[in-house]
Amino acid sequence: MDQSFDDVWAECEDLFGQARETLATLKEPQPAHVVQASVNALFRTTHTLKGMAGMLGYPVFSKAAHRLEDIFDLMRKGRLRSTDSLIETLEAGVLALESGLDGLRRGRPEPEDYLQPVRRQIGELEAMARPTEGQAQDLTTLLDLPPETLRALSDYERMRVTAVLLAGTPIHGLGVCLDYSTFDERLRAISEALAARGELISTLPWDLPPEREGLAFLLLWAGATLEPLPVEAGEALESRQLVDPALIPASLRAPASPEPAPERLPEGPAAPMAPVHDGEILRLPAQRVEALEARLMTVGQLRDNASRLLRRVEEAELDAPRALLSEMETGLLDVQKSLLQMRMVKVETLFSRIEPMVKSLSRDLGKPVRLQVQGGELEVERSLLSRLADPFLHLVRNALDHGLELPSERLAQGKTETGTLKLSASQWGRNLRFDLRDDGRGFDLARIEARGLELGLLEAGERPDPDRLLRLSLEPGFSTQDQASQISGRGVGMDVVRSEVESLGGEIHLSTEPRRGSLIRLTLPLSRAVVNCLKVRCEGQVFGIPLASVLRVQAGRVPLRGGERVEVLGTPIPLESLQACLSLREPEAQRTFVVLTQQGGPAGRGSFEVAIGVDQVLGRGDVLLRSLPELAQTPGIMGGSPQEDGILWVVDPEAVLGLAMDSLMRRVASV
Amino acid sequence: MRAAGRDLLLSTRDLREVVDPSPPTPLPGVLPGIQGVVLHQGEFLPVLAWEELPGGRRPEGPPEALAVLRTRLALPLERLVGTLDELPGPWEEPDDDDAARGWLGASVQLRGVAVRQLDVDGLLDLLRRFRSEH
Repeated sequence: MDQSFDDVWAECEDLFGQARETLATLKEPQPAHVVQASVNALFRTTHTLKGMAGMLGYPVFSKAAHRLEDIFDLMRKGRLRSTDSLIETLEAGVLALESGLDGLRRGRPEPEDYLQPVRRQIGELEAMARPTEGQAQDLTTLLDLPPETLRALSDYERMRVTAVLLAGTPIHGLGVCLDYSTFDERLRAISEALAARGELISTLPWDLPPEREGLAFLLLWAGATLEPLPVEAGEALESRQLVDPALIPASLRAPASPEPAPERLPEGPAAPMAPVHDGEILRLPAQRVEALEARLMTVGQLRDNASRLLRRVEEAELDAPRALLSEMETGLLDVQKSLLQMRMVKVETLFSRIEPMVKSLSRDLGKPVRLQVQGGELEVERSLLSRLADPFLHLVRNALDHGLELPSERLAQGKTETGTLKLSASQWGRNLRFDLRDDGRGFDLARIEARGLELGLLEAGERPDPDRLLRLSLEPGFSTQDQASQISGRGVGMDVVRSEVESLGGEIHLSTEPRRGSLIRLTLPLSRAVVNCLKVRCEGQVFGIPLASVLRVQAGRVPLRGGERVEVLGTPIPLESLQACLSLREPEAQRTFVVLTQQGGPAGRGSFEVAIGVDQVLGRGDVLLRSLPELAQTPGIMGGSPQEDGILWVVDPEAVLGLAMDSLMRRVASV
Repeated sequence: MRAAGRDLLLSTRDLREVVDPSPPTPLPGVLPGIQGVVLHQGEFLPVLAWEELPGGRRPEGPPEALAVLRTRLALPLERLVGTLDELPGPWEEPDDDDAARGWLGASVQLRGVAVRQLDVDGLLDLLRRFRSEH
């Protein structure tokens, strides 16, 4: 893939994100002008996507984006009303395009029809909005404006004038005269104020009275009343209602286009606007850019400190430099954290794509589904989530298509009519874990075995255990479906999911219980993260222990050795030195220990605690964790963080617990 | 290049870049075949311990450079000799008696001396085997 297109791909991703967000706002009741602004934004987004796909050389994608763009165009022209089912169809369409784009990025060929999952619904929408002969109306001539001004209106603006009048909304004209030096700022401010209170249909050049200087504009605005005028003293030339909708003949109103009736806006501050992205690609959430700007101030301070430090070192005042260095280190960590944060996105951005897909599939398959998500607030690197999206969506489609039963089958088995699909994301030590659990029929192991024999993946007479059978389902070309399903049989197999997960350095694990459901677990390594650690010293090296796994730090009354038990809050627990866990030279004795617990809740069922002896506790702090490459991965170590005095190794608490237990067992065995 | 007390050939296809050496930080615990890590472009890079490979020899002096392989492994080099645009002769089958056969490939005659090529795939397989056996 041509790397020079990376920016284009990234922009496409952003555009899809914006489209999803905007569509989500349309699910909630909104004032008509907000709906209009959102639909306009979606129209522009799909238009841009169409152009970008053309630029990347994907004509079929471009055509599909054009089809969605047409639907948004029909909506903004008032020919289609924003309803729940329409929004769901569009969400599914946007999702299908987004998945298609992801496929293209991985070098897959263009499908015949990206919008295949919603082809029927989109066809219906197009048919519904198609005007019948002679139905086109243009009510712009009713506006009390000179003909040359009316001629300046675009087709779209004429459509809007007609649509709002048919909906019974008055149209006003606001003429303004603005100063040459500030007219662009002022015009933007006035336009924004009007758009917040109603629909700004058009901004037209206007005749300047002979006694005035500046630039004049006429703003065509649809809404209840223009008062109070959003202008400064001396700016207004005139303001008046251009047409009274009551004058429109009833015969014209009868076949009215499905323009939603305008809602009365609440008194007080203007209603919040739906996100409008005027062709501007904002790659980062605004608050993160602000955070970066704040950190840039820190960088400025650091530079100043560096200058002072240099001067003082030159003057041989060596105490002060130490404090300044410490300050610089803290500041730089802040900067690093902020920069890292820029690369992170919440898992909920993936989950938010899944929700509409589940709704739409649930409806199409006739399988009611309760979707439960957990861990959406977890932040992961954007690139990782982006690569994980397609496999994850495939797994969800599979679960709904093949895993969950039809309501009648569920009821016959004593299950609830509604199936459950649980998605969760969590961090376990150096890994991210994504679970997808359903309460459906589970994997059909007998069928997998039969298919394995057929494909020669199993030998006759072989008695494979369930794990082996489940792993077979991840083999290329393996499918127990006799016919490709329209839902999940679109060429993305479980082998593709496995290969994508493995290429990210992760693994996939399947488990199943007949008629109880299945669990698919994707485990992926963290590449970078900021980890809040307890810093300890052992054998002259500094280690960080993630605080999330530290239950307690305690000093013993007497010197302690690995293999002994220590009393923690009245309960004796085993102790092992960190050195023994990490195969370092063991100390004679230690007085301080850290109680580690398995993640998943202190003292929770199935959890256990081990006291890990350390030479010294140094304190706590955030460290920027960098993972170790494969050839340098060391048991018990999650990664490292460069510090002033060398590398601080961050231990993997889960692994250290396991290593401690192994070491303790060896001690018992050697006695 | 000269490394581990031998003259070696390294295919430029396997090479990412050559950088100035910096002392590696040892990893906690024992990792056979790896001296430690150095920071390179913000990431950790494992540094090979030649002397721990079968048939490997202790370097004759401090490294002059680090060859960074595409597979993100750093090789300490005692000396960079130069590059060959064309092979002066055909590849010759290696001597099976060499204990380093697991990580050295075919040889070619250079000024009357057989110089062996580093077998990067073989080297990586060997390091992975060390890890699994450790």
